[in-house]
Amino acid sequence: MALLETNRIFVHFGGLAAVKGLSLSIEPGERVALIGPNGAGKTTFFNVLTGQIRPSSGSVHFKGMDITNHSVYARTHMGMARSFQITSLFPNLSVMVNVLIALQGIRRGRYDLRRYFLKDKELVAIAQELLESVALWDLRDEKVSSLAYGQQRKLEIALPLASSPDLLLLDEPSCGLTPAESSDITSRIRDLGPKITVLMIAHDMDLVFGVAERVILLHYGEIACEGTCEEIRANQMVKEIYMGSRKSVTGTW
Amino acid sequence: MEDDRVLEVNTPAGPGGKATAARAARSLSLTAIPVVGIGLLILVLPLFVPTFISSLVTKMMIYGLFGLSLNLLWGYGGIPSFGHAAFFGTGGYAAGIMILKAGISNFWLNLVLALLFTAVIAAILGIPAFRVFGVGAGATNPIYFLLATIAFGELLSRMAVALRPLTGGSTGISGIPEPDLGFGFRTTASTYYYLVFVIVAVSVYLMYRIVNSHYGYALRGIHDNERRMQALGYNTWLYKYTSWILAGVFGGLAGVLFAYFGGTMVPNNLAMITSDIAFWLVIIGSTTVFFGPLLAAVLFVGIEYFASIYLPARWPLIFGAVMVATIMLMPNGVGVEVLKLWKRVTRGAA
Repeated sequence: MALLETNRIFVHFGGLAAVKGLSLSIEPGERVALIGPNGAGKTTFFNVLTGQIRPSSGSVHFKGMDITNHSVYARTHMGMARSFQITSLFPNLSVMVNVLIALQGIRRGRYDLRRYFLKDKELVAIAQELLESVALWDLRDEKVSSLAYGQQRKLEIALPLASSPDLLLLDEPSCGLTPAESSDITSRIRDLGPKITVLMIAHDMDLVFGVAERVILLHYGEIACEGTCEEIRANQMVKEIYMGSRKSVTGTW
Repeated sequence: MEDDRVLEVNTPAGPGGKATAARAARSLSLTAIPVVGIGLLILVLPLFVPTFISSLVTKMMIYGLFGLSLNLLWGYGGIPSFGHAAFFGTGGYAAGIMILKAGISNFWLNLVLALLFTAVIAAILGIPAFRVFGVGAGATNPIYFLLATIAFGELLSRMAVALRPLTGGSTGISGIPEPDLGFGFRTTASTYYYLVFVIVAVSVYLMYRIVNSHYGYALRGIHDNERRMQALGYNTWLYKYTSWILAGVFGGLAGVLFAYFGGTMVPNNLAMITSDIAFWLVIIGSTTVFFGPLLAAVLFVGIEYFASIYLPARWPLIFGAVMVATIMLMPNGVGVEVLKLWKRVTRGAA
C-alpha cells in the first residue's frame, strides 16, 4: 500500500491554476525529489499535502486514510513532518527550547500546566541526542536569531525529525547554503534510516541526484515527466524546461 | 535584547557538575532574594506606614495581578487585547451581585462562583474572537480581533448600564461589604490587605508555573511562529482559546478583589478606560519579563496618587506622558531594565 497518494489535486488561486490535476503515489521508504522551475507549483503542492492549503478539488490519502480535510497538526500526529523553504524557526527562543518544543509537539503532556518544561529530563535527553546529531549541541543556549544561516538551516531540518515522522517533507533543504554545507545536508538526508520516507523539493541537482531514487518534474502545475535519476539526467524535456533550452533563450526574445 | 526567557533557558540542560551548581546558585540569588524580600516587605509594611499607604499597596497588588493576567495572553501567547476589563468587570460585578442580590455572603464561595462565571463569559466571547475575527496564523487581519476585544468591553459595560435592577445601571453597584471569610471572621480594611496579599501571591505563583510549564512554552512558541507550531503538531487554536480563558479568570480575580476593595463596581470597570490600565501596565512593564506588569502597577498607583494631588484636573495626562517617555527611552519596558540592573548588582556581589 502506498504511504502517500494524491488523486487529481487542483489548486486555484483566483484565476490562476497553480496545481493542475496532480496524482502521485509514494511507497514506504522511497526517496522522491520534486523539481521544476519557479512557479511550477511545488510548494503549493507541499502545502496541500501538509494541510496549510485545502485543494480546490482532489484528495490526499496518507496511510490509506483520506486526510484531505485534516488539520495541519492532525497530519503531524499521523506521522507527517515538514521543513520550510523560508527558514521558519522560533527566533526569540534558544536552540534547546526550539528542539524541546518540536519534541513536545506530538508527545503527551503538551497541555501540562504543572511541570516545568525545561526540567523535563526525558525530553532534554532526546533533545541532546538530536542536537548532537546535527552538531548544534554546543550552541544550545544561543538564541536562534543569533545563529549563522547555515546553522539555522540545520535546525530547520532537525525540527521535523523531532517527531520521528514516517513521511518527511523537505522544502528546499539546501536553499541558500554554501556547496560544503549543502553536501553536508545531502549526506545527512541520505543517512536517515530506511523507515523514513522522504519527499523533497530541490533545485540543487547534487542534492537531488545524491538522495533521490525517483525524480518528478513539475511544470505549470502538472507532472511533465518522472523517472530515476539516470532517466531524468538523460531526458531532453527536463533540459528544456528546467535548465532552459537555447531555443527559448535566443528564439523568443 | 536580554530578557528572562533567555535567562531561564540558560539554567537547565547543563550536563551537570560545577557549572550547573553555579548557575543554580546564581538563579537563586536572581529570583529567590527579590521574591522573598519583596514578600516580607509587603507583609511588614502596614506596621510602619499610615493606612492610606497600605491601601495604595493593596491597589498595587490588585492592578499587578490585572496586568499579569493580560501579559499571560499578550506577552506569552502573543495575543493583544484592548478589552481585558471585560473580565475584570465581569468578575467584580458577579461578586457584587451575588452578595447584594443573591445573598451569598461567604467570600470563598462568592470568589469561586464569580470566577466560574468569568470563565463562562470568556469562553463565550472567545468563540467569535478566535473563530470569526481571529488572530495569529491564518487570520485575515489582527486589527479585527483588536476591534472585537474593544467591542466586548463596551458591550458588557452597556449591558451593565441597561440591566439596572441587577447592576444598578449607570451608577453601578455600591455597598459591597467587607469579605466574610467564614467561621464568623470578617476582614477589616487592614486585614483585607493580607487577604489580597495571599491571593495575589498564590496567583502570581500559579501564573509563573503556567508560563514555565509545557503549556506555557507552547504559548511562547505560538507567539514566535504559529505556523511552525501547527506543523509540529500543536493545536494552536486550542492554546489560544484556553489562554484567553485563563487570562480572563485571573483578570476576573483581580476584579473580584477590586470590588471588595472599593466596595463599588461601575460600568466603566468593564470598559476601555479600565482596559487601558492593563494595557498600560503591560506596555510599561514589558511583555518579555514575567514580573514586568507588577513593577508597572507600583508605578501606576504611585503616579496616580501623586498626580491626583499635584495636578488634580489633568492627572491622566501624566500617564500619557509616562507612556510616551517609556516607549522612547525603554522600548522593551521597565521590567527589562530592572532585570538588567539586578543582574549587574548580583554579578558585582558574586
